Amino acid sequence: MESTEKNPVVSRHPAPYPLVFMRFRPAWAYIDGIREFGRFFCQTTFGTQELADRACVVIQETLENAVKYSSNSADSELELSIESDGLSIEFSVSSLPEARHLASLRQELNGLQTLDPEQAYLAAFVRASNEPDASARLGLARIRYEGGVELSMKEESGGRIRITATGKL
Amino acid sequence: MSKFEQVPVPKAESVAIQVSAPNQVKLSGTITQKDPSADLAGFFKALHTAALADGLSEVRADVSGLTFVNSSAIRLFVDWATWVKNERGPRYTLRFITSRSITWQKTSFMALMSLAKDVLAIEQAS
Repeated sequence: MESTEKNPVVSRHPAPYPLVFMRFRPAWAYIDGIREFGRFFCQTTFGTQELADRACVVIQETLENAVKYSSNSADSELELSIESDGLSIEFSVSSLPEARHLASLRQELNGLQTLDPEQAYLAAFVRASNEPDASARLGLARIRYEGGVELSMKEESGGRIRITATGKL
Repeated sequence: MSKFEQVPVPKAESVAIQVSAPNQVKLSGTITQKDPSADLAGFFKALHTAALADGLSEVRADVSGLTFVNSSAIRLFVDWATWVKNERGPRYTLRFITSRSITWQKTSFMALMSLAKDVLAIEQAS
């Protein structure tokens, strides 16, 4: 709460705190710009560099996953939202993945939840080291550990999924 | 001239790379492209091979100016550490020069250190 009380942007706009909502085509070229906007938004709104750095990791890795696994259909736009109640922050990315990726995403998320964030990140490094020809699969573990958030996935109508990352401010 | 300093430097998007004798490589900028291994995996492998051929006892990888990377780029550092760790003959210490003010470096090099602490060293940039 201390950081929000000090920050004029937040004090002028009481809870629910400033909200970001973006909708865009799933293109890799947008990720850098959106990540840096997220950094700017969190730094400006909440006044902490630490939160801005965490936001960068969460936004980069969730959007990378969403873009990589998006279907090519016309309704595959991504949605990113950032919300806060003054105590916690929530990043949410909605996407329309190709169905064949869903099972592995579920499995990866379930596996992560069995370990604390640091252990899960270390385990992901060990797996990457032992499987040099497989894809990295460090991103979700990195989001939890470096981003300081917990992850959840909700399956929505029309085949869309929503990955939500929630952590303390 | 050593093999290490003759390793060709790739032109990689958004990252500046310098190789200098006898054993230093410096990377600065950001690495967030979809497949950074296309530019950098072969380069890191060539540095590794050259370091072994030169009989270097240490390679200094200065990443203190790498302000942000994605997890695919972190994977490249995991691979490099794994190559050194799995080397059966004489091997070198891979010393990463990092910045304490850059969050991803604190978390990821700590994790990397736990993976291969017998061949890695982490040093804070002055």
